[in-house]
Amino acid sequence: MKRIIYLLIAASLLTSCVAVKEYEKININDPDMVLSSLKFSKFETYAQVYRESASGANGGKSGGGCGCN
Amino acid sequence: MKKIIVLIMLLIATWGNSQTKQDSINTYKKRVLEDIEIYFLTSYYTQDGDNAAVTGGIGTEELTDLATNIVISIPLNDDDVLTIDATASSYTSASSSNLDPFTRTEGADGKVILIGSPWVESSGDSRQDIWFNGNVGYSHASDDRNKIWSANVNFAAEYDYTSIGFGGGYSWLFNKKNTEFGIKGNVFLDTWNPQSPIELESFSDDQDLNNGFFRGVDILDQNGEVIDKNGTNIWNPVSTTLVDDKNRNTFSVSFSFSQILSKNAQISFFLDLVQQNGWLSSPLQRVYFADRNNYYIGNPSSIPIYTTPQNIDVFQLADDIERLPNSRFKIPIGMRFNYYINEMFVLRTYYRFYTDDWGVTAHTLDLEIPVKITDKLTLYAAYRYYTQTKADYFAPYEVNLSSQDFYTSDFDLSDFNSNKYSIGISYTDIFTKMHIWKFYMKNADLRYSHYDRSTGLTSDIISIGFKSIFK
Repeated sequence: MKRIIYLLIAASLLTSCVAVKEYEKININDPDMVLSSLKFSKFETYAQVYRESASGANGGKSGGGCGCN
Repeated sequence: MKKIIVLIMLLIATWGNSQTKQDSINTYKKRVLEDIEIYFLTSYYTQDGDNAAVTGGIGTEELTDLATNIVISIPLNDDDVLTIDATASSYTSASSSNLDPFTRTEGADGKVILIGSPWVESSGDSRQDIWFNGNVGYSHASDDRNKIWSANVNFAAEYDYTSIGFGGGYSWLFNKKNTEFGIKGNVFLDTWNPQSPIELESFSDDQDLNNGFFRGVDILDQNGEVIDKNGTNIWNPVSTTLVDDKNRNTFSVSFSFSQILSKNAQISFFLDLVQQNGWLSSPLQRVYFADRNNYYIGNPSSIPIYTTPQNIDVFQLADDIERLPNSRFKIPIGMRFNYYINEMFVLRTYYRFYTDDWGVTAHTLDLEIPVKITDKLTLYAAYRYYTQTKADYFAPYEVNLSSQDFYTSDFDLSDFNSNKYSIGISYTDIFTKMHIWKFYMKNADLRYSHYDRSTGLTSDIISIGFKSIFK
C-alpha cells in the first residue's frame, strides 16, 4: 500500500516538473512524437492480438470484438 | 504517519504552484479539426507454421488475409468531431478449412472413401471468410480544450462470431496542456455462432457411428485396423456437449497518464483492467488426450507418419474441443517514451508488462526510429521483441489428459518469444498540393514487417496507407 501511495505522489510531482509553453512545443508536436501506435501499423497490431496472449495498454483495444485471445 | 502528512502537504503545495501558471482562456478558439480527414489503409498478410489449433496443435497454419480500413473524421463544429471507422478483412485459412478436413469419394465397390490430413488444406466452406467491423465515435472538447469527453459504438461480424460494443472516455489536460489524465470504459457483448469439428458435431447429434457423417465410413485404430463400430473398442469423445453458452462478454476500464518532460521528450503510462466472461474457448479447436486411444479415418499406411507433413491422407478423430475457464482477468501495463533527438531522428519506445489469471505473463518491447531524410520523406525502422509464459491449461498435441477440467493445444497460449522487424517510408505534404477533385493528399505510407515466433510460426505483412483532407 505504501509503495502505491509513493508512486502516485511521484507521478503527481511529475506534473509540476516542467511547463513547456505552446510556442516551444514544435518538436513535441512532430507527428512522429505522438504517444500512440502509428496509424499504418494498425493491422500489425490486429495480427499480434490474434497470435499472442497479451493485448491492451497501448491506448487501443484491450479485448473483445473477436473470438481471439 | 507524520511522513505521509508531510508528503501530502508537499504534494498540495507543488500541485497548487503548477495550477497558478495556467493560461487564461483565449478569446480565439481554434477548431479541434479544420477539415474532413480520411485515412485509408490496406494490407496483405500471410503466415505459415506447423501447430494449427483447429487440428489439435499440429498441422498447417497457412493463412492469407487482405484487409482494408477507412477512418473518416468529420468536424461537426468548432468543438465536436464525428469519427467513422470501418474495416473489412477477407481471409483464407488452411487451418480453419480443416473443421471438415475430409474429401469424400466413392470406391469401385460403392464404399464411401474419406481422406483428410491436418497438413492439407480442405476445400470446405470454413476455408474462407470475411470479417467486418464498424465503429462510430463522437468527441467533444471544452472551450479551453482542456477537457475532452468521447463515446463510441462498435459492431463486428464474421461467420462464427458477432460483437456489439460501446464505450466512453474522459480526458483532462492541465499544466499548460503538459499533463493529461484519461479514463475510458468499454463493453463488448459478443455471441458465438459455434462451428465445431465435423466429427464431434456429428457425434454430438446421436452418438451413432453407423449414422450421419459416419455412415459407411471405416474408422481405424492406431494399428490401422478397421474397428467394429458396434464393439467396445470404438472412438468415443470425452463429451457430447459442445458449446452450452454462446455469450462472450468483455468489460474493460483503461487509465492513461501523459507528461511532457522537456521540449524534446514526453512519456505516457497506460493501465487496463479487463474482465472477460462467458465461452472463452474456441469451439473450432480440437484437443487430443495422451490417455485416450487414437482413431483415424483415411489411409492406414499414413498413420505412422501422422505428425509429419508427408501425411496427406489420414486424419485423427478428436477427443474433444478446447475447454477453458469461463472467466479471465487481464492486467496490461504499458509505457511509451518518445525523444526528439534532432531534426533528422526521433526515438520511439514502448514497453508493456502483461499478466492474467490463466497463468500468462508477457513482456513487450518496441523500438522505432523515424529518420527524416527530407522535409517530405521519412524512413522508419523498427524492432519488436515479445515473450510470454504459457497458460496453465496449455499442452501440445497428445499431452493433455482427459481428467483435466480445462485444456487447450492452441500455441497462441503456449510459452514462446517472437521478433518483428519492420521498415517503412512515409511521404508527407503539409501544403497538400496533390489532389483529386476535393481530396487533397496529405501523406502516403508504405510499411513491411516480418514476424517470427519461436514455435515456428512466421508471418509477413505489407501495408499501404493514404491520408487526405476533403475541402
